[in-house]
Amino acid sequence: MKLSKKVVLLGHFGVGKTSLFRRFIDNEFSEEYKVTLGVQIKKKIVQLPDGKELSMIIWDTEGHSNSIEDTRKSYLLGSHAFIYVFDVTRPETYATLNQDLEYLKENYTKVPAKILGNKLDLVNQKEISDHLISQNIHFDCLASAKTNKNVQDFFSDLAKEIAS
Amino acid sequence: MEEQDKLKILKELLFTEEHEFADSIAQKIDDLTKIVYQKKELSHKVDPIIDDKLQEFVLEIPKTLGPTITETLREEIKNSQDAVVEALFPIIGKMIKKYIAHEMKLLSENISRKTKKAFSFKNWFQRTKAKAQGVSDGDLAINEYAKPRLIQMFVIEKNSGILLADYSPLSEGTIDKEMIAGMLTAIKSFVEDAFRGGDQNLELIEYELYTIHIQNFYSYYVAAVISGAYNMMFKEVLEDQIIDFAKNNISNKDLENSILFTKKLKKHFADEIV
Repeated sequence: MKLSKKVVLLGHFGVGKTSLFRRFIDNEFSEEYKVTLGVQIKKKIVQLPDGKELSMIIWDTEGHSNSIEDTRKSYLLGSHAFIYVFDVTRPETYATLNQDLEYLKENYTKVPAKILGNKLDLVNQKEISDHLISQNIHFDCLASAKTNKNVQDFFSDLAKEIAS
Repeated sequence: MEEQDKLKILKELLFTEEHEFADSIAQKIDDLTKIVYQKKELSHKVDPIIDDKLQEFVLEIPKTLGPTITETLREEIKNSQDAVVEALFPIIGKMIKKYIAHEMKLLSENISRKTKKAFSFKNWFQRTKAKAQGVSDGDLAINEYAKPRLIQMFVIEKNSGILLADYSPLSEGTIDKEMIAGMLTAIKSFVEDAFRGGDQNLELIEYELYTIHIQNFYSYYVAAVISGAYNMMFKEVLEDQIIDFAKNNISNKDLENSILFTKKLKKHFADEIV
């Protein structure tokens, strides 16, 4: 039986949601920054360990400037997972992370939210990890859409989790 | 005679000519002032000159400015193609519409003429049908040709935009149906959010020759892509068929099993008139 799941990318403007989206789906990267307006949708068929296939329908939403509450609510409905993306080089993109997660937990109780710090290629992994933990920022993955570091593994793990 | 009087006489004797010359200059200045400050006078003098120069200028334009203007226009159009298309689109659209209406009228008249000439049982039936409906044979034939047809049908989960089932009476297309289902849901969500119409739902999307009929249910919606002239009569038939299908075929189990659901959808709509 075919399995389809909706995954929504969330986060501030310019954190690299679209770059991650393109890297995972088309294995492409561009330095050119284009603001996402509204939402764009693509899908990727992920092979699961049990041989089944999961159709991941990924919604790349436009970034918010203040809080996640600015994101159009109807885009979040019916999601099977959220990916909250922040930019490891810009503290303002994770300043409201804990409040935003709280909001998601309250309003979308059953939907898992994964935290991903992007642009790892611009910093030292050990230093940024220590810094984020000291700031009480708990993340699931640090990755780089530019170099493809940890991107495929992150999405594969997520696919396994939401398929089960 | 005093000294001053003598001097005066001497001045008059010596400067008579200069006085006259100065007076004539003053007179000329007066005349010129009148010409310059009185529009009519000035126009009388200057207009013929300007007219001549303008005439020369007009004759010279193609030679002198023509290439520059052409080049500038070409460059401007090249640099702002979108703006030019934007400006011309409504005008061209109206022209095309008028042209098509004219051509359709000619086609209808042509068909009417030919069907009147030819005799067959089918033609006789068509003519009787056209007469009963109060339209010409040609209009009836065109209506038959442009009648609405179901191209594709999607059943989509309302919030997630996940495709539950789809059916097309035509051969399978190459477009990704799951992405269409997602984008349709995003468009629908956007419109419904943007206009904050309470519980109101988007029910129709039109694009070029196609119409997307949207019928909303509680946890899913049906999107039917229609080609041809989508009209109220067709809408009612389609709505009834979708309701009928939903009532008799859709259960929670169906919503969870897309393969079975797709089979049911195909079976139902393959037999229907849409």
